[in-house]
Amino acid sequence: MSSDKPWLVVLKRSAVILSMVIAFFPIFWLVSTSLKPFDEWANWPPIWITDRPTLQNYRIVFFPEAAREFAAAQEGSLDYKVSGSAWKSFQDSAIISTLATFFSVVFGTLAAYSVVRFRTGGENYPFQFLTVRMFPPIAVVVPMVAMFSVLKLSDTYFGLILAYTAFTLPFSIWMIRSFIEDVPAELEGAAMIHGMGQFKAFLTVTLPLIRGGVLSTALFIFILNWSEFLFALVLTSGDVVTITIQVANYVSASSGKLYGVQAAMGSVSTLPVILFGYIIQRHLVRGLTFGAIKR
Amino acid sequence: MAQESLDATAMKQAAPPRRRGLPFNVALVLPAQLTVLAVVLCPTLIVLWLSITDWQPTSGVTWYQAEPVWHWNFYDLYFDDRFIGALLRTILVVCVCVALELAIAIGLALLFLEEWPWRKLAVSAVILPMMIVPVDAANAFFMLFNERGPINHIISLVIGEAFEFSWLADPDWALLPIMLAEIWQWTPLMFLLVLTGLMNLPENQIRAAIVLGASPARIFFRVMLPLMAPVIAIALLVRSIETFKIFDPVYILTRGGPGAATETISMFMYNGAFVYFRMGYIAAAGLLVLIVVISICLALSKPLKRHHG
Repeated sequence: MSSDKPWLVVLKRSAVILSMVIAFFPIFWLVSTSLKPFDEWANWPPIWITDRPTLQNYRIVFFPEAAREFAAAQEGSLDYKVSGSAWKSFQDSAIISTLATFFSVVFGTLAAYSVVRFRTGGENYPFQFLTVRMFPPIAVVVPMVAMFSVLKLSDTYFGLILAYTAFTLPFSIWMIRSFIEDVPAELEGAAMIHGMGQFKAFLTVTLPLIRGGVLSTALFIFILNWSEFLFALVLTSGDVVTITIQVANYVSASSGKLYGVQAAMGSVSTLPVILFGYIIQRHLVRGLTFGAIKR
Repeated sequence: MAQESLDATAMKQAAPPRRRGLPFNVALVLPAQLTVLAVVLCPTLIVLWLSITDWQPTSGVTWYQAEPVWHWNFYDLYFDDRFIGALLRTILVVCVCVALELAIAIGLALLFLEEWPWRKLAVSAVILPMMIVPVDAANAFFMLFNERGPINHIISLVIGEAFEFSWLADPDWALLPIMLAEIWQWTPLMFLLVLTGLMNLPENQIRAAIVLGASPARIFFRVMLPLMAPVIAIALLVRSIETFKIFDPVYILTRGGPGAATETISMFMYNGAFVYFRMGYIAAAGLLVLIVVISICLALSKPLKRHHG
């Protein structure tokens, strides 16, 4: 293929550059809008890169005083209600995502170990967990609302943690299962010959070997939890606010006229996920195909 | 074989004497199993009950005391144009998005197959969209397709006159930004899957084809594609299932509007349950969707199973 004609090489390189431009453009627009002062948000023609960059939008997102000040200054032109600081949503998302990730990975590791080394439940058993992921969540949302209202779980951390743990378990079980499968059982057998219990052999021999894999799984599941929207939308009503809810609130606040603020919130809320995503880039394919495709 | 039996004896020797109660391996899957049962099985049972009632939380009756209406929800659904429309629209979205994602992904993957400087960095750049929180991606597209957004600006510059079309308010066009947002965000995943598949192809067969003088197109269609079939099958399966659930971009961009022009099945059910509060009716719709999805999945999960085995 190195015998390509020069024009073909140029064409190929241009295609690559074009795809990169398309990949970056919406994000560029989000960040660029987040730096625009109020009077440039809805300009026509739109301003691509502002001459007067400001951090005001970020201040409005995080500091209620700034938001109140802004709302007072725009009295009449915007029906913007101060909905409290976005800190609360970051805090709630961090708590829920971290705990749900913890439970999902611990439960998932135990189950994966049992499935790989004991063949628990037979060959088809792990598929039962996969069907959870195939469920459209919306189909179980109505009965979950009914169930949660009886159990007093609506609008609580525990409710969302329970939902997130269950719906990420298929990923953690299947991903960690594929990592455990990569470690030969003989290693554990060797430790057991030296008198170690089987589970202890797993903990001291196999687990350290798949540490990186388990960590990647955890980051992957954290990303899923952090990004989740539907359950948060339906199972909360104001006490618990995740970042996705906060973003949606800004979008719908005054029929989408808060471009700068909603762009600022969007840019900040997606940052941790981008960071984690690139850390585990190597394992993304494995994760999103439930371990079916390895690298 | 020998190693396996050694392994088996080791396990037998080390296995602790069986105690009362649960076998150890069953106890290990229990936490995962119970969580799933609590969040999936219980709601499924409740759905079975709700689907034969006309429960509406606004009426003040709790769901377990609701009046049964038996089969009437299903009867109504059959004649509900909005439900059927949402179902057909979702299938359309799945077909268009997944097909385009695959086509673009294969094209891109072929570009990235050969070695060139900065290739790794370029891969990382191209997959940026899939790293974004979907709600934020939808948020970005909301701004792009605004009547005063950059898309209209670019079109104005190209056609040379002012173009201020509000995409999201037009029943005929509002689905386009939603599908573009979905394609933009998930083509990178498809690209990564295809690229992984291409890189894992046995080189000998391709080299043999080159030596035998096959044209690049012929090599691609007759050698590479058939070898890629399992990977492509998994990619299509995973993406179809996920796209069928599409909700976030619809909610952020249009909430199913204008009218019901962009209502996908998830959006239809959200609106029915949490805007019109027809919980019983939507439970029936959910049950139908569950049955459809589960039967499709059972039929389609074979390639995944084969690949694993």
